[in-house]
Amino acid sequence: MVKVSNITKDYMVGKMVVNALRGVTMEIGSGEFLSIAGPSGSGKTTLLNLIGCLDKSSAGEIFIDNEPVSEKSKKELALLRRKKIGFVFQSFNLIPVLSAFENVSFPLSLLGVNDKELKERTMALLDEVGLGGLENRFPSELSGGQQQRVAIARALIKGPSLVLADEPTANLDSKTGSDILKLMENLNTKHKATFVFSTHDPMVMDFARRLILIHDGRIVDEKTMRRLK
Amino acid sequence: MKFLVSLAWKNLSRYKRRTVITMIAIAFGISMYIWIDGFLLGMEKESERNLLWYETGVAEIMEAGYWKDIAYFPLKDSFKVSPKLIKTIEDKGFSWTKRTAFISEMFDENGSLPVIVYGIDTKRDEEVFKLKETIVKGKYLEPNEYGVLVGEWLAEDLSIKVGDVVTVRTRTRLGAYQAVDLEVKGILNCPNPKVNKGTAFIPLSVADREMEMDGRVTEVALGLPEWTSQEARLIPLTKEIEKSFPLLVVKNWRDLAKDFVAVSEGKRGGTSVLLFLIFIIAAVGISNTMLMAVYERIREIGMMRAMGMKDSSIRLAFLLEAGGIGFLGSLIGVALGAFFTFFMVRYGLDYSGILGRMDIGYRVTGIFRAAWDIKAMIVAFFFGVIVSMLVAFIPAHRALKMEITECLRYQ
Ligand SMILES: Nc1ncnc2c1ncn2[C@@H]1O[C@H](COP(=O)(O)OP(=O)(O)OP(=O)(O)O)[C@@H](O)[C@H]1O
Ligand SMILES: [Mg+2]
Repeated sequence: MVKVSNITKDYMVGKMVVNALRGVTMEIGSGEFLSIAGPSGSGKTTLLNLIGCLDKSSAGEIFIDNEPVSEKSKKELALLRRKKIGFVFQSFNLIPVLSAFENVSFPLSLLGVNDKELKERTMALLDEVGLGGLENRFPSELSGGQQQRVAIARALIKGPSLVLADEPTANLDSKTGSDILKLMENLNTKHKATFVFSTHDPMVMDFARRLILIHDGRIVDEKTMRRLK
Repeated sequence: MKFLVSLAWKNLSRYKRRTVITMIAIAFGISMYIWIDGFLLGMEKESERNLLWYETGVAEIMEAGYWKDIAYFPLKDSFKVSPKLIKTIEDKGFSWTKRTAFISEMFDENGSLPVIVYGIDTKRDEEVFKLKETIVKGKYLEPNEYGVLVGEWLAEDLSIKVGDVVTVRTRTRLGAYQAVDLEVKGILNCPNPKVNKGTAFIPLSVADREMEMDGRVTEVALGLPEWTSQEARLIPLTKEIEKSFPLLVVKNWRDLAKDFVAVSEGKRGGTSVLLFLIFIIAAVGISNTMLMAVYERIREIGMMRAMGMKDSSIRLAFLLEAGGIGFLGSLIGVALGAFFTFFMVRYGLDYSGILGRMDIGYRVTGIFRAAWDIKAMIVAFFFGVIVSMLVAFIPAHRALKMEITECLRYQ
């Protein structure tokens, strides 16, 4: 589904070059529940941004559904993201003037889905993430955990093949965080969407079915895990 | 699109205070513009009417030589009005009256003042002018009587009243010194300050005799029942007169009231300065608001772009938001402007207490009345909306030039 082939990413900080990624090669299969883990500054966000087509790599190539990303224009990338990729962020990034319902349905509005279908799909998914009855609340009227549920629903609503979550639980307490991870796991199985999430928290890594450890811009370890329910 | 409009609307109502303040700034600018424009237009229209009714008529026919030296009232360049000239005028649908104007010094026991005296045809003058209606004391002139009508301000200055006798000293057409005693028959209060301040009227026959005019007059003033197409109707008459009477010229009221035309052209310059001021008020207000709006929402913008929203849609959403503020502000501005104008058209502003007898070029006294200038209202409205939208373009553009990852990291 996603193939990452020897990518590097350099940032210029003043006159210094920071090698955020130093040659990362990996594959993400369809339906995976994958965690990219590593300490702060190891390059997790940089990698997720590249996979999510929000940024361009300095070298190497990323293929999404076998198509090389580097050849696409900004417009084509925007279209690709609109259709195939959902994002969840550490700080939720909901649109404060929109209600929970409107935030979740935003990607459908971008795709021009008609009102009736939009309403049905949004209400169903809100129920599924446990926010039934809260659809008219605004982000400021929701707890952190509830906001992240809205964000997850927003990422999933269009039925994307890939959901990228950058430290989705870092702003939540551990109980709420594990609830969110369980929700993501459920949705991963039910919707067959690929989930990739980053973390530096060992408790969070334990939820993953496959774990890629990065350190200083390189993959240092990779393991497949069998979780006990 | 519907979705963008609703997003823009929600964002617009997000910071109510800021939106309202910006709207007030725009509304203030627009309503001021409409008000002042309507006011100036009202003065211009009224001035035009007061010129036509009391000072110049629609146009005047005179000798070319007289026109050349009109500031000196050269009586030697007077002419005899032939039946052929009158037929030409009437054939073209104009009414007419003969007048003889001369400069003089008017005396009473208290002192003297320079006065322009018009010999008027007491029977025909009303065909063109409306002096009779402005008499506030005494009565109109009888033919052949040695009487005079004076403006109220002049009467005050000379402290004369109806029944007093004044002496008018001047030189006749042939250059002889002349002094004539005249009884004040009436005092007129005319909305045209020029007439009120320094003009007197005597019967044409008296002027003819005492000024040795020998049947000549200095001008024939023309009137029209309808002023709307005066320019167009003057053209054939002017052509005809230039052809058949090579010594005569036709001068319309604009030529005759150059001082007024200069003032009203100055007004046009003034309104464009005003328009520019509105532009500044609206632009500064809205640009500040939109700048804040965009920078507060950089992360949101980053999120929307990450979700695959097109840059053009995001820009459009901001333009709509600014346009919305501009629209509401302009709407309120036009409503307020129209409200003021309504009162100014209906009741006017009595400024006689403030300005007294000031003569500022406009031929109005006592009450300023506004006039409706619908075109200016429409222009001001669209101006407000479009300027608002244009101004939002810059901050939106800057945010969209940032990388998406940068937007998402923005604090
Ligand atoms: N825009 C940028 N400009 C310059 N340097 C950057 C930029 N973004 C990231 N870096 C650097 O690249 C390296 C990797 O950063 P990245 O944000 O990917 O790490 P991370 O693993 O997500 O860390 P954290 O757990 O703190 O979020 C770091 O050294 C960081 O300082
Ligand atoms: Mg990070």
